[in-house]
Amino acid sequence: MVVDIITPDKSLFSGEATAVTVPGTDGSLGILDKHAPLISALKQGKVKVTTAGGEDFYEIAGGVVEVQQNKVIILAE
Amino acid sequence: MANLKEIRSRITSVNSTKQITQAMKMVSAAKLKRAQDAIVQMRPYASKLHEILENLSASLDVSENEYAKERPVERVLIISITSNRGLCGAFNNNVIKRVKGLIEEHAGADIKVLSLGKKSFESFKKTAYNPGVGYPETPYEIYNDLTFERSSIIAQAVMDKYVEGKLDKVYLVYNSFKNAAMQILKTEQFLPIVSSAPEDAEGNESKADYIFEPNKEEIVTELIPKSLKVQLYKGLLESHASEHGARMTAMHKATDNATELSKELKLKYNKARQASITNEILEIVSGAEALSG
Repeated sequence: MVVDIITPDKSLFSGEATAVTVPGTDGSLGILDKHAPLISALKQGKVKVTTAGGEDFYEIAGGVVEVQQNKVIILAE
Repeated sequence: MANLKEIRSRITSVNSTKQITQAMKMVSAAKLKRAQDAIVQMRPYASKLHEILENLSASLDVSENEYAKERPVERVLIISITSNRGLCGAFNNNVIKRVKGLIEEHAGADIKVLSLGKKSFESFKKTAYNPGVGYPETPYEIYNDLTFERSSIIAQAVMDKYVEGKLDKVYLVYNSFKNAAMQILKTEQFLPIVSSAPEDAEGNESKADYIFEPNKEEIVTELIPKSLKVQLYKGLLESHASEHGARMTAMHKATDNATELSKELKLKYNKARQASITNEILEIVSGAEALSG
């Protein structure tokens, strides 16, 4: 699936990933390939992106995540 | 015929002015590129956020939100976004003129003008519209380091005042960036938020059946302040890029004018030089004739 992590100032990550873990307001939330459409608010924490090459972590201060048609868009702050 | 020395010194001064305007044009062109990149970077974020919000407000009444409450308009804040520096044509004057127009429109209400940019700040600081306590004291410093974080602080201050009931309406006046040669003056209502009219059916087909986590209401209350902050930041970025575009155009025109002027002066100079030579020859010839005659 395609993952985009964008902030108002820049784009943090954009590309293929096998899994994403985001800090949802009600607890950590894992998103795998072919996840159902979802919109969730995020709190401060780390976003973990698992790609074929390994794991990447991105610090965010809150935001919102949208999953649609196998595309994950994280609007971070 | 003007004297030669005078013309020569004018040519030098016009040429050095031309060099300055040319350099300023180059600087603006380089800065414009960066400012433009910032907007391009920002636009997908803004449009995605707007899309999600629209998606939510289609199925949820947002008019009950604390940022959407309409009140009788008694206290108005106008956020006027200009540049810190001049020499960019009518760029700043357009904004200031529009702000003054808005002030007239709301005659009778208590109006304050929050100036983001020195030009507007200077033109309103000695008036009754100066916002005074409770607002960032020198808000034009934002341009020293234009980031989302810093613009959020200002947005948050304004939003808090609105929620407390100290403001009833907030406008945003800025130049939006169309292309390097064109800026469009925009007046937007910042608060209370205007809920966009339900879109036509064509936009709906792509909407999936979302799972909302934790629930719609909470997401909306989280997203609305965020989208307001983004709106202000977008205004700032647009104005910033427009400023450089406007300055580039203004400096380009100035350079052209200087070239024209220097050409004219050179012609004048050559004519004067020729006239003085003719005069001299005439004097010599007539002198020689008088001697031989």
